[in-house]
Amino acid sequence: MNDFIHPIPSAIDLYKEGDLNGLNITQLGEYLEEKIHIPFRIRGNIYKRFSKKRIEEVSKELARIKVRDPDKRFVLGIPLPAEIDYEKRRITDPKWKIFGILYEGVLYQKIILDLVFKGRLDFKHCIILFTNQLFGTWDRDNNRYHARVSLYSFPSLISITGLVEAPAKPKEFYLKKQMGTPVEWLKEEYRGRFLDHGDSRMTEVMKGYAMQALLFHLTGDPFCDDRDCRLFNSHWQEEVLHSQMDGQYEFCPIHEAMLKGLRDRSIKGGVR
Amino acid sequence: MNRKKQIFTPVSEKEVTRAIVDGFARQFIEYVESDCLIIGGGPSGLMVGRDIALKGVKTLIVERNNYIGGGFWIGGYLMNKVTVREPGQKILEELGIPYEKAVKGLYVADGPHACSKLIAAACDAGVKFANMTIFDDVVLREGNRVCGAVVNWTPVNALPREITCVDPIALESKFVVDSTGHDACVVKKLEERGILKTVGFGGMWVEQSEDLVVEHTGEAHPGLIVTGMAVATTYGLPRMGPTFGAMLLSGRRGAQVILQKMKKK
Repeated sequence: MNDFIHPIPSAIDLYKEGDLNGLNITQLGEYLEEKIHIPFRIRGNIYKRFSKKRIEEVSKELARIKVRDPDKRFVLGIPLPAEIDYEKRRITDPKWKIFGILYEGVLYQKIILDLVFKGRLDFKHCIILFTNQLFGTWDRDNNRYHARVSLYSFPSLISITGLVEAPAKPKEFYLKKQMGTPVEWLKEEYRGRFLDHGDSRMTEVMKGYAMQALLFHLTGDPFCDDRDCRLFNSHWQEEVLHSQMDGQYEFCPIHEAMLKGLRDRSIKGGVR
Repeated sequence: MNRKKQIFTPVSEKEVTRAIVDGFARQFIEYVESDCLIIGGGPSGLMVGRDIALKGVKTLIVERNNYIGGGFWIGGYLMNKVTVREPGQKILEELGIPYEKAVKGLYVADGPHACSKLIAAACDAGVKFANMTIFDDVVLREGNRVCGAVVNWTPVNALPREITCVDPIALESKFVVDSTGHDACVVKKLEERGILKTVGFGGMWVEQSEDLVVEHTGEAHPGLIVTGMAVATTYGLPRMGPTFGAMLLSGRRGAQVILQKMKKK
């Protein structure tokens, strides 16, 4: 666990992209503020401030960074007009619900970085974007793309769709799916054992991910090895639910102490 | 002795032949030029045809098989139950296709019943068919606008060239619809000519691909509307499982695009 490598931010800026399907961002902000005494700001749809021209550019950039084949290294695409048009409709509609395209995560983050910072990186604010879109990163161990819940950087990206799709569901779920059982039937059979789209537990679970983003901002190290700690890097849905909902504590003793130290510094530093 | 009365009126073989040739020729001549030429008579193509024909658009569906309906007769694993996700069942209702709820948001219908009703709906709306007819090439006009298709008899393609050196013929239309499923034959032909570049299937998140197919349905190139699974091939969307809601809704979206464009013209 690193000590702080950046100054404590004066605010946490929470942006959104698309319909977050019941995720309560205000509750997440209140949670972070309560835990670390840093104020939060709800910034709304990340694309709303930009000109028509800039939206055109961003739509084109987004259409280029689709992962076409998760088993192959990424190559920048040459998008068809309808793909650019799709992106434009998607990002200009704050209630957009449709997802399913896997975007190259690092490049997605770069597009958001350029939008937010306009070329000048700023550590004064911890910026987190909550999206309903799916992104992935290349895994060198097994040479394929994997969908991710979060991509911690400046700014950090957290995906509600990633939270449903990326951590693996119970093994039997996939076996039965391969045998042709409709997903809707399997969701009934395994109800409760994984998060689904629009899950009422989403906001509670996301609190841990929002905290990971903040920890990354401060220390460069968002994770904890303790599977009972909210900062645990879960790879299975059952791990997600355990670490975020039923762990024996909210944060492990080491991180709890760290957060207390952060609270004290925030108060002394006059952040509030 | 009284002869038993015949059930059917006596007609000679030559009259039967004349009736077939005459009926076919009259329709074919009329449809050498149409408003919309749909390549592929599967669920999305039938749906486009039905919706535009209801609005008076002169429509011909070209189907390479003898039978119309594509994969809509059967569901996954050759089982003849077809599934649609909400809101696809609204189209089943509209077409008078009985269905039942499987689980929340998923409905099951009898494949033969659903498919035959959809075909009948297209026929009733005024769609005409050229079955056993295979797409061969596109007709292009100024600015590479797609203005028709070159077709041939399907058996010609199935036999060795030495036996069947039959030249194809061209049909003209204001719009061409590629509803040829995974093959995306019309789009691929444009790609062969270096006019359009497709990316093939994506591989993941099948559950969501239905929405994406509908959202990407539209004009891929001037004069060419892409619907159904051809949309997934064109734009590299995830390959879908055996649910048909997106085929029906994509067909409907394709029809809306055509009607809108025809109004503008």
